[in-house]
Amino acid sequence: MTELPAQAVAVTRAFGHFVAVDQVDLEVRPGEVVGLLGANGAGKTTLIRLLLGLLRPSGGEIRLFGEPPSRHTRRRIGYVPQGLGLYDDLTLAENLAFSAAAYGEGPEAAAVPTPLRRYRGTVTGALPLGVQRTAAFAEALAHRPDLLVLDEPTSGVDPLARARLWETVAVAAVAGAGVLVTTHYMDEAGECDRLVIMAAGRVVARGTAQEITGDTRISVVQAGSWAAAFGALEAAGLPVALVGRTLRVPGAPPDAVRRALGDLPAAVTSAPATLEERFFELTLSSGQTEGPS
Amino acid sequence: MWAMIVKEFRQLRRDRRTLAMMIVMPVVLLIVFGYAASFDVTTIPTVAAGPEAGQVAHLVGEPFHVTATEPAQGRAWAEQQLRDGNAAVAVVTGSGRPQVLIDGSQLFTAKAAIAELSAAAAKAAVNGPAGGQASQPGSQPQPVVTVLYNPELNTSDIMIPGLAGVVLVFVGTIITSLGVVRERQSGTLEQLAVMPLKPRDVFLGKIVPYFAVAALDLAIVVGLGVGLFGVPFRGSLAVFALGAVLFLFVTLGIGVLISSVSENQGQAIQLAFMVTLPQVLLSGLIFPLSSIAVGVRWISYLLPLTYFNEISRGVMLRAEPLTSLWQPFLLLALLGVVVFTLASLRFRADLAPAAPRRGSGTPRGPESARGAPTATSAAGTPSARSAG
Amino acid sequence: MTAPGAAESGGDWWGTEDVCVKFGDTLALDRVWFRAEPGRVSAVVGGDGAGRTTLLRCLAGALAPASGRVRRPARMATGYMSAGSGVYPDLSVTENLAFRATAYRVPPQQARERSAELLARAGLDRVGDRLAGQLSGGMRQKLGVIAAMLHRPDLLVLDEPTTGVDPVSRADLWWLIARAAAGGAAVVLATSYLDEAERAQDVLVLDAGTVLASGTAEQIVAAMPGTLTITSERPAGDAGRRAWRREGRWRVWDPAGLDTEGAVAPGSRDVVMPDLQDAVTVAILARELALVPAGQESR
Repeated sequence: MTELPAQAVAVTRAFGHFVAVDQVDLEVRPGEVVGLLGANGAGKTTLIRLLLGLLRPSGGEIRLFGEPPSRHTRRRIGYVPQGLGLYDDLTLAENLAFSAAAYGEGPEAAAVPTPLRRYRGTVTGALPLGVQRTAAFAEALAHRPDLLVLDEPTSGVDPLARARLWETVAVAAVAGAGVLVTTHYMDEAGECDRLVIMAAGRVVARGTAQEITGDTRISVVQAGSWAAAFGALEAAGLPVALVGRTLRVPGAPPDAVRRALGDLPAAVTSAPATLEERFFELTLSSGQTEGPS
Repeated sequence: MWAMIVKEFRQLRRDRRTLAMMIVMPVVLLIVFGYAASFDVTTIPTVAAGPEAGQVAHLVGEPFHVTATEPAQGRAWAEQQLRDGNAAVAVVTGSGRPQVLIDGSQLFTAKAAIAELSAAAAKAAVNGPAGGQASQPGSQPQPVVTVLYNPELNTSDIMIPGLAGVVLVFVGTIITSLGVVRERQSGTLEQLAVMPLKPRDVFLGKIVPYFAVAALDLAIVVGLGVGLFGVPFRGSLAVFALGAVLFLFVTLGIGVLISSVSENQGQAIQLAFMVTLPQVLLSGLIFPLSSIAVGVRWISYLLPLTYFNEISRGVMLRAEPLTSLWQPFLLLALLGVVVFTLASLRFRADLAPAAPRRGSGTPRGPESARGAPTATSAAGTPSARSAG
Repeated sequence: MTAPGAAESGGDWWGTEDVCVKFGDTLALDRVWFRAEPGRVSAVVGGDGAGRTTLLRCLAGALAPASGRVRRPARMATGYMSAGSGVYPDLSVTENLAFRATAYRVPPQQARERSAELLARAGLDRVGDRLAGQLSGGMRQKLGVIAAMLHRPDLLVLDEPTTGVDPVSRADLWWLIARAAAGGAAVVLATSYLDEAERAQDVLVLDAGTVLASGTAEQIVAAMPGTLTITSERPAGDAGRRAWRREGRWRVWDPAGLDTEGAVAPGSRDVVMPDLQDAVTVAILARELALVPAGQESR
């Protein structure tokens, strides 16, 4: 495959006055996993719908495998939406059969993968979420897509099951598919080759997790009584986060924090910011904290 | 496309409520229209008064069916029998021509009675004093026929009191049935279970606003009926109101019961529809009760609208007093108790926390309230995941 | 001996003792012991089906266990937020809070002041008249938490308050949580984010209705048996069954010094300090391996 599985060039999409996606550039190359991070309302879902051809851009261009989205390109895409896209009242086997037929694939595509065989006859709605997710993945991969789009694929699942789902993703990428994933789990950012962070419809950061976090540092407070320190920092107008028994203060150097604490017995040190804290900063400064979900 | 067809079939097979509706409904309708739908009147309950009351039974034949003979009574008693709905026709004998009083509020029965009397009169005129059975003894003077309560035999006069009931059925059942389901779907039912509220509070809190709206609806229907269509309102407003309150209580209770056994709004509407349709068809609103085959009529006696129809027609058209309406009132009250008890029990099961439940089955997954909805068929079977 | 499920006030902790909950034939909770103390935040973690929501419902009094005891305050002193915010989408922010205030008999003046303060701090002060259904996910969750803590409950139970929420709202939510704990409430929250669980003072890990681990995050990590190494490829053989993927590389768990250097895989192997997520993954894996004999695993 020489063309890019997915490409957005200066894509904009507005709903009336509300600009959901604003001049976004994005590409997904074959064999790479791109992570799309952003708050609810940042435009991630709209961007995905644009890429899938479910929405038309108001401006800019969407290209899938070098052409505009069409029914033809749809056949080369595997999509797992947030709601999984499975029919609750069909069995696993029936779901796979339907999907295979809809994509025009033969019976091999409808085969239930070995780990799920014991669930094949159960109505999907009665299966545990982890099994449903695995089945949704299997369905999306059954027609050997060149582009895999996953919307929050591991939400609500235990860490071991999550690891296994990511393994499936990695296998698909190794086989040459381009993968676009959205997630809220910060440590999954490490599974992605590249990250794209969106806020208020725009891309506010790109690169690997290390590149995005860069050299940002935050202050860490360890106090005898965290509640008192919490109150003092609050009163000084500093954003405070409670983590276990320590307090983390992003965006303020240690001496400013020391000043705010006054005489309270506490140890104040500096530490590198986590991706989440950097993400927080980027979202805050973009001015986007509300908007429809 | 074939894949789509196969899938829909499979989903339909599992969706029992829709299947029930699609298969049972036509069967039910067929039975109803086969046995119930009839405007044919087979018996006309009749009473006789006056000195020659005893002979009335000989003089009138089928379909008149004499149920009471009171030689000592006169016209006033006869009118009262009609008013109280004890008979459709009353024959008052005495000096002069016998008077035949017909209850116009029983439209089809009245029309049938008039047709029979006209036919008999025509036969008498043809046969003359010399022959014919019905003209014994001697030359019978022609009766004076008077139609009471609906002299022009207007359809609207008898339909509108019935429609008042139908409006209440729709508001009460269909709209109330959505009330609890909405809570379940928005995930707030769990919250209610935890709050310091009693199940009774929640139940009544859900019903009272609909009570108010339904009462308003009723007032509008009756007001328009009287004002625009000239339907009479001859009886006691208080009795009517009491009947309406009781009837509403029953239908709202049914609505709550439906919503407590439905998992989403689609199911609630289906069930509400299955409960409402028989009421419209079998309550005597359109087809007179007496014309409905006995084998099917027992269903009518289970329907609250049947009793409210009696009450509303009786009060509006015949000024029937409470004392003669005790039967429908009692039965409505009984239905009310049954429905209220069932609804309370179901409600408690949903809301009562501390009482240990026996095998309550899979709980409604709160996950269904969050995130994008799962792709389901139109029947909307929810995902019954194991508790998480 | 109190009857199963009966509430008991007094004492200095809330929680469950040996609680079992059955739904039909499924055992949703199997002899679970859990303790939440005032002024502390406890996180309940586990995948879907683990029993988190069931446990929280028991604590809040929405469910009675089949056996065992639940220690919980009276209904008036409990605050609960069901998964998915638990607010009415067709009522406004203010109306939702007014309903709670009335139901919990909070004096109107007090309710107004507390609502105003919490809403302002959570960034919701300008959307008082907006319908809850029209708020963004993060804002709705914040409203849900505020509604649950409005009446200053002794026990605050929150089911997945931060799932799917944007980072700024998540920070606000944790402020609300910390505020409640600072005020003396015992806060119990369910989460599927293990990094979040590490922020809590106590952690309870559930899997298939039973307790996999409990204690502080440090204690759970310290209690993890064996060692953890990172490698760039999935190892073959037996070690491969004890490996899982994380952040692009493979973690291999060595429960008892079984893997010798070089016998696992070519390429570098670094020993790592496990975090809570690793400890939990190991616990789940250990349970799975004990159940599935070698060779029959369906991979």
